[in-house]
Amino acid sequence: MYPTRFNYESPKSIAEAIALLHQGGGEAKILAGGQSLVPMMRLRFAAPEMIVDINNIPGLDYLTVDADGTIHIGALCRHSDLEKSSLLMAHQPTMAAAAPVIADPIVRNRGTLVGSLCHADPQGDWSSVMMALGGIVVAQGPNGRRSIPAADFVKGPFQNMLAFDEIAIEAIVPAPKGIPNGGYLKLERRVGDFATAGVAVAVESSQGLIIRAGIGLTGVGGSTINATAAAQSLVGAPLTAGSIAHAADLAAQAAQPRSDHRGSASYKRQIVKTFVVRILSGVVESMERAA
Amino acid sequence: MSTVKQDTRLRDILGTSALRPDGVAKVMGSFSFSSDMWAENMLWGATLRSPHPYARIISIDTTAALLISGVSAVITAQDVPGKATYGLISADQPVFASEFVRYMGEPVAAIAADHPETCRRALAAIIVNYEVLAPVVDPELAMLATTEQIHPDGNLIRHQKIICGDPQISGDITVEGHYTIGMQDQAFLGLEAAMAFPDSGGKGVELHIATQWLHEDRGQIAACLKLPEDNVRLVLGGVGGAFGAREDISLQVHCCLLALHTGRPIKMQYSREESFFGHVHRHPAKIWMKHHATKEGKIVKVESRMVFDGGAYTSTSPAVLINGITHTQGPYQCDNAVVDGYAVRTNNPPCGAMRGFGVVQACFAHESQMDKLAQACGLSPVEVRLINAMHTGDKLITGQAMESVAPVERCIRETDAIPMPEPLAANANVLEFPGGSGRTADRQNIVRGIGWGVSMKNLMYSEGFDDYATARCTLSNGIASLKFATSEVGQGFVTLAPQIARSVLGVDDVVFETSDTQIGSAGSTSASRQTWMSGGAVDGACRLVRERLFEHVGELHNIDPIRLMIEHTDVIDTIGTFRISVTEATQGITLSETFEHHHRKTEDLDANGQGNCHVAFAFVAHRAVVDVDIELGLVKVVQIATAQDVGRVLNPLSAIGQIEGGIAQGLGLAVMEEIIMDNGRVKNPSFTDYLLPTALDAPSVVAIMIEEPEPQAPLGAKGIGEPPCISVTPAIVAAIRAATGKALSRVPVRPQDICL
Repeated sequence: MYPTRFNYESPKSIAEAIALLHQGGGEAKILAGGQSLVPMMRLRFAAPEMIVDINNIPGLDYLTVDADGTIHIGALCRHSDLEKSSLLMAHQPTMAAAAPVIADPIVRNRGTLVGSLCHADPQGDWSSVMMALGGIVVAQGPNGRRSIPAADFVKGPFQNMLAFDEIAIEAIVPAPKGIPNGGYLKLERRVGDFATAGVAVAVESSQGLIIRAGIGLTGVGGSTINATAAAQSLVGAPLTAGSIAHAADLAAQAAQPRSDHRGSASYKRQIVKTFVVRILSGVVESMERAA
Repeated sequence: MSTVKQDTRLRDILGTSALRPDGVAKVMGSFSFSSDMWAENMLWGATLRSPHPYARIISIDTTAALLISGVSAVITAQDVPGKATYGLISADQPVFASEFVRYMGEPVAAIAADHPETCRRALAAIIVNYEVLAPVVDPELAMLATTEQIHPDGNLIRHQKIICGDPQISGDITVEGHYTIGMQDQAFLGLEAAMAFPDSGGKGVELHIATQWLHEDRGQIAACLKLPEDNVRLVLGGVGGAFGAREDISLQVHCCLLALHTGRPIKMQYSREESFFGHVHRHPAKIWMKHHATKEGKIVKVESRMVFDGGAYTSTSPAVLINGITHTQGPYQCDNAVVDGYAVRTNNPPCGAMRGFGVVQACFAHESQMDKLAQACGLSPVEVRLINAMHTGDKLITGQAMESVAPVERCIRETDAIPMPEPLAANANVLEFPGGSGRTADRQNIVRGIGWGVSMKNLMYSEGFDDYATARCTLSNGIASLKFATSEVGQGFVTLAPQIARSVLGVDDVVFETSDTQIGSAGSTSASRQTWMSGGAVDGACRLVRERLFEHVGELHNIDPIRLMIEHTDVIDTIGTFRISVTEATQGITLSETFEHHHRKTEDLDANGQGNCHVAFAFVAHRAVVDVDIELGLVKVVQIATAQDVGRVLNPLSAIGQIEGGIAQGLGLAVMEEIIMDNGRVKNPSFTDYLLPTALDAPSVVAIMIEEPEPQAPLGAKGIGEPPCISVTPAIVAAIRAATGKALSRVPVRPQDICL
């Protein structure tokens, strides 16, 4: 199908883009990578009256790491930029694991992390990753900037916390207080499919103890799930087979999957449990190697 | 994948790997499929389908649709001038539903308009008022007399027993199981498409169509159009795969009706989603099977009850059922049998022909049983199969003698001798792991398993049906021209037919005339039959022409024609020195002959399932090696070893293509492919959610072709299309059982069946 008729705007600055959104009065949508928006428009699941294409706004495609380890990802930083980034490999194993399994190479070349967060698809990978990392979304609107924790950013399926005239201009991963470690595992029936289930685990360790942990679950609920009890169970202790199994059970309990053609609810729970174990077992191995 | 060495020294005669004449065009994208057709002044046709599995039609209002600019016609059941129904075996399927819709996606109306987008809008503007009814979806319930009968013909499509030998006899050992086979789709890549041209005055129509059987289509179409068959001409359009799904009518009648209604050419083509609703699927089945055996593992008796879900209309269900029950024994000797088979009507999608045709379902059950028997007797899977292997001359459970060459033992032994694949290397690429590209499998949790499957498959049509084939050969100026109505659906008859002509006539140049209904029927491209049947017809026609050629040369050169033969591209005198090239010998003359090839007669089964109902059989063995991630339930089929009884290899490259393709399709049924139903609703009508094997899923295939020429077959060659896909499915499942210890009684095996 063809999309319904819409107006196309191509602002040259963030201020101009915000003004257009304001003028659109809730019927305008930002176009960054367009890898979710455009298919939804073609299928007429989405019919915005105005498209505000931010691709001509300079200076939004950055990926930088501060001296303290804080990571900044601009609104036009593509998945493939993240996939190829040696900075990410060095500083952020959970993100480095997720970047290559986002959709397929064509989508990765165009789609953006910030756009994926805004899209708030319960099967989107980056929301789980940013939740696990305690990430932050920076929004800018007519009244200036504000920071929204990734854990609060998603309101529900395909719903985020942005006001209609706000743009998410950046995602931030705060500086780690210990040694960052973790991973992302996703089960998909084939490349490019939505996740049957995915798990993001991010931990920080200091002197053999876990001092911070986050676990985000993809595709096993109405929106991305923050498995806080599972993550908290790891904090303050070393990783052991027992603590890993316990966290995996708690994560599986936190999942709220539905049976569908991708698998039964109990199968998806089994995947969550297995992935938590596999990621954390990998963390143990890498900690042992480092020690 | 295995490769075949090409011998370029030889002419492209029988036995060589002649290349497909349409191969380059298909790879380059320039081949004209039926969906590529275009005509001046044409309109687009489209179909309105039922959203409900079962409902009463209260009213249909087409007024608003007709008012849309660009819409030329809206037709419903009342616009069908002839027979209101069609069907391959029983004409029980309406051209358009009028009183009831009996499955989700059943056609209710069709429209013709100037653009696909206009069609979409017009379909949305047709108002159908339904009284939604509770669908009957469980075949066990459907077959009860107390259940609502959803069709005037009743819910039981066919019931057939087989009682053989001593039904009371028992064995030292019994093994039994309940098996479930899911609904597989043929999933051809070239979607349903056709173009219909009306004759001026509406007295006839020409339909260009991707089909498996031009003449059968014509008969059904003409009856619905109320036109003499001669006024309905069918021309084969480019076919992009079939696998059984093009044997039934889909858009043929709708397209012709719209053309006659509007007086303009009509182009119709389905989308992938519509295709899932537009053709029949493989029957889902539930099978109970029990084997009695001696303690040494020799089968004494087989008992089975098979229930095939035929969906809303008959299609080929009666024949599929017969194939299922008559293959209960598999390729094994068995003197006693009690089998009870049912094909049942439900509000699920109609099911019919698909590669393997009933035998796939039976084979999954009997091969699962053979492994249970092996275990019960302390035998290996190979030993139990060798002990019971069928031989030529054995009596089948239908009382029919196995007259075909039956190298079952050889198939098993030669497969067994194929080297096993290397163990998964510690540093193996993640793409070789189960789950492949997902990169989620864990090396430490991967377990390897090995499993076996052996099968028997009937060739050609059964139960008294004379599915003959016709071909004409015309030889002139050194060029042979072949005419037949055989559907080339990808199987390679367009390669084989010229190979036959070159071998028989000593020509190099062979051309095809259009495949259409301007010659006698070739029968269907199904049942592994065209090499045997249409191959036999082409061979027969060429031989008749060769006789004429020898008479002509003999007369001209005063040689007794009986002394003449073809050597390479020359006619030679076998006891003299005379030699003339075929090209020279045919200058200025035209020799033309038509030949019909008929297979031997078969007969119906009696009430106890006894009778010589099948023409011939082919056999194959498969050994599967799989790697399984037991925690995630992911499977990678590493290798399929196979030895197939082919009679004689006519084209090695074509043969290996059939074998590899069939194995991929059988792998699909084993671990991926299923139309998921929910109370009569199809849940996954797309290639996103209906999972087909891709290159990443394809195993290494090591194939041996066992050549023991079949005396009954005109070229010594058995059909090879179906066997590769039949026993590979149980072999893969057996391998997963071996790796996981799970019982696994259903296909496809889902990840959750393995890891929960």
